[in-house]
Amino acid sequence: MKYSGNLSSSSPVIKKYKSSATTLIAGIVGLRSAANASGQVTISTTTSFGDSLGLILDQSEKNGAVTSYSTTQGAVEGVVSVIVNPDQILRAKMVTGATGTSITADAVATAVSNGLTVVGGTSVASPDMDEGLLWFTSGANLSESRKITSTSSVTATVIVPFPRASVVGDAYCYAGLNVGLTGVTLTTDLKDVRADIAVSTGASATALDFDLGPANDSFVYLVLGDQVYNNAT
Amino acid sequence: MSSTLLIKKNWTKQSLLADQEVGGRKRGRTAGSWVDEIASQKKVITLCPLCTNKFNPAKVGFRKEKDIPYCTATCDGCSVKNEPKCSWYIYEETYNEVRFTKDESRAWHKRKAEAIKRGYYI
Repeated sequence: MKYSGNLSSSSPVIKKYKSSATTLIAGIVGLRSAANASGQVTISTTTSFGDSLGLILDQSEKNGAVTSYSTTQGAVEGVVSVIVNPDQILRAKMVTGATGTSITADAVATAVSNGLTVVGGTSVASPDMDEGLLWFTSGANLSESRKITSTSSVTATVIVPFPRASVVGDAYCYAGLNVGLTGVTLTTDLKDVRADIAVSTGASATALDFDLGPANDSFVYLVLGDQVYNNAT
Repeated sequence: MSSTLLIKKNWTKQSLLADQEVGGRKRGRTAGSWVDEIASQKKVITLCPLCTNKFNPAKVGFRKEKDIPYCTATCDGCSVKNEPKCSWYIYEETYNEVRFTKDESRAWHKRKAEAIKRGYYI
């Protein structure tokens, strides 16, 4: 994930926090360490941003090797820099699969002239992409996107029709993410967001915006939903 | 009615410089060696306007953040707290892992515009 600014247009607030037993890596979201655990910041999980602090900006590193904390007396204390603004905007790549590198693109299997449905080769109902996004990556509707309003097997339905008829073979992508919806599932490296998981599932982050491009170059902008400095929980 | 006398302080060059020096960095460490140590650990370096000119980021492989030039942080040089005009430096190799810049955004949209013109994404 990458820092892309704040909702409030303010400058980032950067703090250096003490590392926990977990090895911290730049570009992932750091969470407040649990009670009775070491340090002040630990890493998120694939499905939890609970009590998040913000984006970690550097590695917990010493002498060129990534490290975590040390329990040896006299050793250098491990610290990492964290952007702690509650309204920080994070840009993450959308992928498919736990270690995915790009979204699995689908292709139109049945031509539709009225633009109200997209019929492909893989299921959009399980996992359910209802309320997610669908966008074309080739054909007459290239770069056009719509909100999915219902799903059934391999058919995604939209209310605002795509501007042109789809033909067999037109490529498209879809994601179980949409503006204002909270819930993302991360890849195992905790840096990318899985587009193949049902809407509103996983870690508490809300989609703010999208860069919808080809299957290997599409991104979501997120705002943390459970940030400790919101003082809400 | 009481009256207030405003007495202008006569700053000398020495007293002005002395007032600008703020202690509080790591015990027994000079600012330079402390910043050098953070740099060797490839951590983000935040420096206030008074300290930032004393640091050469290119020499130690760091990149100054220019899209969002200021951050609020504790100065790694003089330890002043919550300084809203800190410059921030990110280790060059880590930079692309954590920052999405305007240049990157322009490049992405240019790629998209070219694809639409071409009729397909590569």
